[in-house]
Amino acid sequence: MNISPTEAEEALTAIQAMMQKTRRAISSSGAYKFLILWGTIWMIGFLGSQFLPKEIANYVWIGLDILGGILSAVIGVRMKRGVRTSAPTASGKRIGIFWLLLFFYCFAAVCVAWPVDGKQFAMFIILFVTVGWIAMGLLLSFASVWWGLALLGLSLFSYFLLNDYFYFIMAFVGGGGMIALGIYVRNRW
Amino acid sequence: MAELNETIHQTVRLRIMAALVTLAPDEEVEFTYLRDLLEVTDGNLGAHLRKLEEAGYIRINKAFVERKPRSYVSATADGRKVFAEHVAALESILKRK
Repeated sequence: MNISPTEAEEALTAIQAMMQKTRRAISSSGAYKFLILWGTIWMIGFLGSQFLPKEIANYVWIGLDILGGILSAVIGVRMKRGVRTSAPTASGKRIGIFWLLLFFYCFAAVCVAWPVDGKQFAMFIILFVTVGWIAMGLLLSFASVWWGLALLGLSLFSYFLLNDYFYFIMAFVGGGGMIALGIYVRNRW
Repeated sequence: MAELNETIHQTVRLRIMAALVTLAPDEEVEFTYLRDLLEVTDGNLGAHLRKLEEAGYIRINKAFVERKPRSYVSATADGRKVFAEHVAALESILKRK
């Protein structure tokens, strides 16, 4: 079988395009959804913590976390719906269950530590969300592990060293950064 | 030296193999998901999958998921090897340009 260099180039381009499309559709299809979801939740929640009375802000956070947990579970179940694997850790259902359990643990940890102030409450949520994020990165796309670690580092730095600006930093840098990263992953991955 | 493979070189089959080798070795993709990914019809995809299956480059598993019949497609080890050789042959043609 003989083909011209132009045909070979076209075939290689088609292969690369198909591989990239497959990776986007299957391997990374859920990562950007989690980022946009949690970025939005963080932005609303932390702005609430900044401007609303403490009690109301806490209820807003509880509502947002329950909503986030349910939506994360739905995304997890729908992710990789068309792909199945013999490796049990990668199944969508287990990912969904993982997120539900993680939020149960977060709720339980807050209850055990109660009473906590607003910033401590927020840090509990951040710690659990970033653990979930890093776990998803290890399962689905290793590159996003670094973003999860960076967010964890930023949160701890803000909590301990820039405590007065903690809510603002978390809303705009944390939440906004997650949304921006999610849009970037969706368009460029 | 790596050789071009006539079965794989056909445009749709080349794209099918490119999609399947992108998956992990223990993963398989559902027929309709692959059809949407490739933007081809059921009949077209089915015909090309049969050719690849006859050549031993892919495996088709039929299963019932939530009481509905589903076909799952994956690349065999032989298919992955032949595809890699085909890509190497294409690259060597470009290098000689």
